[in-house]
Amino acid sequence: MKLSNYNQRLLNIEQRTKRFMLGALGAMLFVLLLIAIKQDYLVRSTAIYFFAENAQGLNKGMAVKFIGFKVGSVKDVSMEPNATVRVKVALDDDYVHLIGQDAKARLIKEALVGESVVEIIPGSQQVQQVTQNSVLQFERGQDASSIAESMAAQLQPILKDIRQITSSINNPNGDIQQTLKNLNQLTGELRETVKQFTQLGTSGNQKLDSVHGKLDKALDSVNANLEVMDKALPRLVDRADATLDNVQSATSDIKRMAAESAGELPAFIHNSNALVQDSQDMLEGAKQSWPFSGWFRKPEAQVLPVDGYVPPEKP
Amino acid sequence: MSRLQFPSLLVIVGVLFLTACGQTAPARNARLELAADHSQSAQRAYNRGDYHVALRQYEMALQVDVAVENIPGIAIDILNLARLSQILGRHEVADAYLDKLLQDDALEYEISYLAAAATQKSLLILQRGDVAGARLWLEKASAWCVAECTLTSVIDNARAGIALREKDADQALHWADRAASSSRNDSPLEYANALRYMSEARLMRREFSMALRLADEALVVDKTLGLPAKIKQDLLLSASAYEGQGDAEQAKRFRERASRIVAR
Repeated sequence: MKLSNYNQRLLNIEQRTKRFMLGALGAMLFVLLLIAIKQDYLVRSTAIYFFAENAQGLNKGMAVKFIGFKVGSVKDVSMEPNATVRVKVALDDDYVHLIGQDAKARLIKEALVGESVVEIIPGSQQVQQVTQNSVLQFERGQDASSIAESMAAQLQPILKDIRQITSSINNPNGDIQQTLKNLNQLTGELRETVKQFTQLGTSGNQKLDSVHGKLDKALDSVNANLEVMDKALPRLVDRADATLDNVQSATSDIKRMAAESAGELPAFIHNSNALVQDSQDMLEGAKQSWPFSGWFRKPEAQVLPVDGYVPPEKP
Repeated sequence: MSRLQFPSLLVIVGVLFLTACGQTAPARNARLELAADHSQSAQRAYNRGDYHVALRQYEMALQVDVAVENIPGIAIDILNLARLSQILGRHEVADAYLDKLLQDDALEYEISYLAAAATQKSLLILQRGDVAGARLWLEKASAWCVAECTLTSVIDNARAGIALREKDADQALHWADRAASSSRNDSPLEYANALRYMSEARLMRREFSMALRLADEALVVDKTLGLPAKIKQDLLLSASAYEGQGDAEQAKRFRERASRIVAR
């Protein structure tokens, strides 16, 4: 009797062990399936290659994008005997027909701060599509730091020009300040002349000879002042011309810089927009899922606080 | 529980955990989201003292809430519109909004909203000087203010206000003291109101130094809350207290300070 019970218990234990082992095996298979899906093992793909001068910024597993969509990933980065870098890319078969043999691979950053991706620049539609082991041309896109450096290098001479102009204007011994001083002096002399004319008018009873004499002096003075003005004005005009030339030169430099950057900026903006949109979508999804849904409660309408104080008519 | 069942239990718990991860929160429909957005904008505008903008936003929220018959939303919007209209000096409009809520036969609002509406109505009537009418609506508010009612200190303060208008300083002190006790840790706004009422009652009893102390304390709270009208009121109360003490110079200084406060 005892032996029978013992056997029965052994049988139970065996059955439970079997069930547990089956459960564990099932869970392991499920995890393996998830890993396979994540690693794209279940996706049919076409391997293509490109060659780069160095491996800077190129990593195994980095995304390959085509017009903003992920179409594959970098599978391998290896050094060739001739010291070039061979990059193997796996493209999803669903998108291969969109990429011609003359397409280019370009290494870009998706935003000012962010991960690098390989962007496939589409070739002409007429050319045959890429096939297994096709080789694409490779180029590096300008990243934010190189654009910033280029802009800084081009801005420096402009800032130098502006500093020179400013210091020239502020210099008390500079031409502009001197010209202004001359003008100031001239104004003072003219004021004196007008005063003399006034005095002349009020002393109408003085002798005619004396009047003539003073008038002559006054006219001489006016003549002298006009001569000073004649000399000063051309110099002032020359200086103004030079200043305008400097400003024009600065403006043309800025225009040139803007034109040079114009090719890169739309791509930057486009990629940044896509990144922001993706982040927003992810955040929205996360906010609606447990446990984050509890952290990001939707705002509810609230009653404003009722104020229980009524001021007296006369405090 | 045997040892072999424990891992199975762990697996089940794990599966349940993963299932929970996949759950998404029930979403509000687009119109309710829109109403909530308007309401949030209005709340922000109110907090920064931009009452006209807040009024417009609550009007828009009300339109949306009425369109989808969101009854709690309608009640909140109407109460807030009444409050803002009162702040902006449009007392008739505020009164009309409150009547709309209190006399609505078609929709059944939660009792807490009715209590808030009745309290607001009472304060509005008291502002017009109708003490009897204010008392009537305050009794209704008190009857509606039952479990978890947050209006207790407001109602007590309103009672203190009524007592002051009836020149009953003792009753005013009693109600304001109750309001101060219940609001000290919950509502700085009502705590400062209670202090102000107590200061007025002390002035009435010619206890000037105590009135001054209370007005000072109210001033500190009101400055923290950033409420210009209340700050002005506190300064005027201090001026009256100094005047009562015979310190005309200080009284003049405080009146000058009060005159420089301009609400914006």
